[in-house]
Amino acid sequence: MRAIAQNGTGSRAEAAAPAITGVSDEQQVLLSTLPPSRGQKRLAFAIVLVLLAAFCATLPFATVPLGYIREFIPAYAAAMFVISSITSALLFVQFSIVRSRALLAVSAGYLFSALITIPWALTFPDLFGESDMAGTTWGVLTRIWRLVFPLSVIGYTLLKDDDARTAWPRALSYFAVLLSAAGVLVAVDLVAWLATTTRDSTPSGLPFSILDRSQIYWNALFLLLALFALALLWSRRRSVLDLWLMVVMCGLVIELCLITLVGRRYVVGWYAARVYFLVSSTLVLAVLLSETALLYARLARSVMGQRREREARLMTLDVLSASIAHEMRQPLASIVTNVDAASRWMGRPTPDLDEVKATLEQIRNSAYRARDLIGSIRAMVKRDGRNRAALNLNDLVHEVLALMKGEFQRNRISVELELDENLPLTKGDRIQLQQVLTNLMTNAIEAMAEKKWPRILRIKSATEEPNGVLISVADTGKGIDPKIVDRIFNPLFTTKSSGMGLGLAICRSIIEGHDGRLWVSAGPEGGSVFQFVLPANIAS
Amino acid sequence: MTYLTLMQGFSAARIPRRRGSTIEDQQLRTGPTISIVDDDESMRCAVKSLVTSLGFAACTFASAEEFLQSPCLDDTACLITDLQMPGLSGIELQKSLLAQDRHIPIIFMTAFSEERIRTRAMEAGALGFLSKPFESQTLITLIDKAIETSRKN
Repeated sequence: MRAIAQNGTGSRAEAAAPAITGVSDEQQVLLSTLPPSRGQKRLAFAIVLVLLAAFCATLPFATVPLGYIREFIPAYAAAMFVISSITSALLFVQFSIVRSRALLAVSAGYLFSALITIPWALTFPDLFGESDMAGTTWGVLTRIWRLVFPLSVIGYTLLKDDDARTAWPRALSYFAVLLSAAGVLVAVDLVAWLATTTRDSTPSGLPFSILDRSQIYWNALFLLLALFALALLWSRRRSVLDLWLMVVMCGLVIELCLITLVGRRYVVGWYAARVYFLVSSTLVLAVLLSETALLYARLARSVMGQRREREARLMTLDVLSASIAHEMRQPLASIVTNVDAASRWMGRPTPDLDEVKATLEQIRNSAYRARDLIGSIRAMVKRDGRNRAALNLNDLVHEVLALMKGEFQRNRISVELELDENLPLTKGDRIQLQQVLTNLMTNAIEAMAEKKWPRILRIKSATEEPNGVLISVADTGKGIDPKIVDRIFNPLFTTKSSGMGLGLAICRSIIEGHDGRLWVSAGPEGGSVFQFVLPANIAS
Repeated sequence: MTYLTLMQGFSAARIPRRRGSTIEDQQLRTGPTISIVDDDESMRCAVKSLVTSLGFAACTFASAEEFLQSPCLDDTACLITDLQMPGLSGIELQKSLLAQDRHIPIIFMTAFSEERIRTRAMEAGALGFLSKPFESQTLITLIDKAIETSRKN
């Protein structure tokens, strides 16, 4: 619920959130901010160990030639394409929530990896019978990928700590996703086109002639880059994502080592290197997916839990009001019956004054009982003072609106907000005040449901001089009959066929329990306006 | 204030007819007994006061069990009972009386007016079902009806 409110109010709420942790509640469930558990660390370590063991096991046979397997590269490329695309989609989703440049960098890096596998596979020299090795487009594309991917990871690692506290506006983040995806697409096209044309025109020409140097230097450079990325990640490791990126980089390092060691194609090492990287990428994707699914399940459970809690709360109020109604009706019934009895004793030819006196006594006792009952309800509302904290009523309005969104849509009611951005904080019980707002909005919905058009709910917040905070809930419903307007706050008074008629009475009790006032007036264009004022929290 | 005036007006309208039957009142005092069962003392006393002001004899009980064991059971011409009580509820009292083949006219009173229970009570032959707080006039009319039924039997 807090998360929703924080999203809704944007930077204001985030500024109000404690800056000590730097991570708000909603980010506690994200892969890019959640710290890895001990089990996850062990699993990652085990995967790296298995890869290393496989690497060592391969070494003795690394140079055994296997011959050209025609299906290998297309299959490998297809697998890498799928894995990288899904990983990039997963990371873009993370970015759209956290909105940090670091995530954008690594998501774009993965998208680039995915897209470049297409020209990479198509230009594989032996696929279409070509044999020119060093200067081929394929070699160039391989090197570009080995440059870009570790760089995107390095970019992520360098940016991730700076970004923790500066999130972009939401609208901009979608734009950024589209823009970077388009940028990556254009870059891949451009690279593929350049790699193809430069090779065709001048095999040693610019700008890729520089890439045609001895393979060993290049591999050394890539290895250094991958190791640097790994070291950087290690030194700044914090989140689940960091952990699994490290595993990917380990896979890359192992691949590069193996390729550098064997130095030629179509031997066991050459195939194994690619398989190891593929395995590490697949495992990481699998883990990321399962983590996401787990987090989703946890989130869904907590959302359901919150919903149940809310229903339970409403239920409690319902049960409470029913028992209050029952308790209230006893003395009322007794008073009414006694009044009639007394009047009968009086009306006799010889009035029985003793009976009248006894009956009047009863009436007084019943009235006292009703008074005590009201007192105890008020005390119940008041007693919960320990739950009071400084809160922004604008946030509360957003929370309740989010909870009741479905009701407004179902009744085709449009909501107009006029919230004072500089509203001072107030001190109160969040749940009780939420109850008041829910009640006022429910009444407004019911008042408008019986009318055709327009159906507009206007919610205003304002500063009330000298030191109060005012909330007004105005509807365009049928309004309140002036004859009954004085009684609508009375317990048991209701104009509805269902309900105990305690809603407004409890609302008033709650507001008065907070040293505030709640009143109603007729709206300027029909309908009614419920307003309450609470004292501003001067200490804040 | 308005409510009280209204109720006085009500009583005033009733009084002439009762005045005309003062002797009948005196006779009734020793005649049929009306039993009142309610765990709420103030309500019990109020209904008793109203019933005796009408000239009937009244017995009061704080629970259904108490009533079922009392000697008043045989003289009761009309039973006014609360619905929700600790121990036997009003509906269970009604059932237990029917099981003993006692067809006493019953008027239920309740502070929870639930349609389902009302239907059940009325189907089982209740004379009336009053939601607290109710108008005394309604109760008086029902009592009159109950006495008439008892007399016929």
